[in-house]
Amino acid sequence: MLKISNLSVAYGQNIAIQDISFEVNPGQILALIGPNGAGKTTLVRAVSGLISPKSGQISVDGHKISDIPTGERARILSVVPQARNLGGAFTVEQAVMMGRTAHMGWLGRACQYDRDAVQLALEQTNLLDFVHRSISKLSGGEQQRVLLARALAQSTSVLLLDEPTNHLDLQHQTSLLSLIRQLTREKQLTVMMALHDLNLVSFVADQVALIVDGKLQCVGTPEEVLSPENISLAYNIPVDIVSHPRTGSPIIFPQGIAKEDR
Amino acid sequence: MPMFRKHPFLFNSLLLLTALIFSIALGAVFISPGTIMRIIADQLPWISLNPNWPDSSVAIIMAVRLPHTVLVAMTGAALASSGAAYQGLFRNPLSDPYLIGVASGAGLGAVLAMVLNWPTELAGYYLIPIAAFIGAILTVLIVYNLARVNGLVPLTTLILAGVAVGAFASAITSYLMLTSDDQIYRAIAFLLGGSPMAGWNPVLAALPYMAVGMGLLSVSGHSLNVLQFGEDEARQMGLNVDRYKIFIIIAASLTTAVAVAFSGVIGFIGLIVPHIVRIIWGPDYRRLVPISILLGACSLLVADMLARILLAPTTLPVGIVTALAGAPFFLWILRRAKREVFW
Repeated sequence: MLKISNLSVAYGQNIAIQDISFEVNPGQILALIGPNGAGKTTLVRAVSGLISPKSGQISVDGHKISDIPTGERARILSVVPQARNLGGAFTVEQAVMMGRTAHMGWLGRACQYDRDAVQLALEQTNLLDFVHRSISKLSGGEQQRVLLARALAQSTSVLLLDEPTNHLDLQHQTSLLSLIRQLTREKQLTVMMALHDLNLVSFVADQVALIVDGKLQCVGTPEEVLSPENISLAYNIPVDIVSHPRTGSPIIFPQGIAKEDR
Repeated sequence: MPMFRKHPFLFNSLLLLTALIFSIALGAVFISPGTIMRIIADQLPWISLNPNWPDSSVAIIMAVRLPHTVLVAMTGAALASSGAAYQGLFRNPLSDPYLIGVASGAGLGAVLAMVLNWPTELAGYYLIPIAAFIGAILTVLIVYNLARVNGLVPLTTLILAGVAVGAFASAITSYLMLTSDDQIYRAIAFLLGGSPMAGWNPVLAALPYMAVGMGLLSVSGHSLNVLQFGEDEARQMGLNVDRYKIFIIIAASLTTAVAVAFSGVIGFIGLIVPHIVRIIWGPDYRRLVPISILLGACSLLVADMLARILLAPTTLPVGIVTALAGAPFFLWILRRAKREVFW
């Protein structure tokens, strides 16, 4: 279980996160939403141990993240960053194998256990046909899958994702999130994911945390959090929200860009 | 797949062996490769051959050409492997020992030591790399601290600081050279693009430092690989980034310092060789660093042979040859880099 209690994070004098508390249980996906600059990425960075909290605690199964050394932390918690220009012309297999860094010695020699974990991660992310391709030559969606495979190869119980669907088209957004949801259930992963698209949030998340100006506005199920009042307040625009005809999950329509009533 | 792509270590070792033999063979008197191998074999304590060569050949090889060749090979290996490490560490294809000021700092340390006390015996030679290493590490520390902004070291400020500190160190070096007329000739040759010192003393003095430096760089391949994803992601993958950064900076600076201490300032090898290796044998630093050691040695030997024969009997500073051959090659790499990602 990932537990964040009274967390505050500051960059110098600027307070980026203020007194945030919530929990994520194994097998569950929590989506972080909020306007640009609200502090979602900062929260992901803090939970992954890249920035130390100003006050408050982050713990996984009762162990404080800040007390765990880098190598051990990477065996508990993995991060899927945003796909951008990936450094290096490594092959898919080499890149995913680097996810095993925390399990390998300092020379980076892979044992059978490492190769099995990489093989499994490649299978789960449907990348077996790409193993010898250079990651720099893949499409955005394929690169994002490589980053997910790399995180899965870390064999952690907690998975953090920072805007994993940015730059992906509709098909790839859907297939990536379906995959994450399926793996969360199967492997009982604890997942925290920053996500911009509220309709995707409604489609994938078990819990939603709405963050505005570094503060937690509310946390709960998508139906509870994705209300017209919450969203209008957070994003400063009026919205219409209807229920999905089949699943009942909320769908958000911003009013600002609606065509004139006919 | 061609043989040389599949077996990089075998291919580059053969290439290096050929270059070593030709480097010993070439000179005012040409000595055939067969004779060279027989003379060197005859020096080994457990082999005794019937000498059918002039005594002068033995003297030329053992006292002049062999130590020169070995020092040049070691220098090339050191520059190429530290260049590869700096490129990986700073994730920039333009990083090399000269760009971040390390070579100039090492040069200042070495020249300072030589001006104060020109080495006459082996013990003195052992001190020069230490002085050069102190110069190199001080430069790295100054550059690193100047370049740091809010706890991060952006590439642009790193390189600007490197150029500025490097220029400052070079200026002091020039001043030292001009005010100590005694050593001026040696010092100028040293900084003018490389003039490897003569005799066995520099070779023996460089050997232990280079073995340590290049040994450390050779085992840093995996951490350099992980660092290619950026420091944040490397940390999230479990790499102790700060520890490995210091480890690699010390190893690369030591390697550079020893090369500069005994061979002077030679450009482009540290830039070009890792690029060639990357293009042919891929970006995996676990192979890239050791292959760069072999190919670096080989490349500087070829440049040195050209330096010796182009205007024979005058010997050019080898740095002029590496710059003449290296600069156009580098431009070609830049054009290629625009078309496809290989970095």
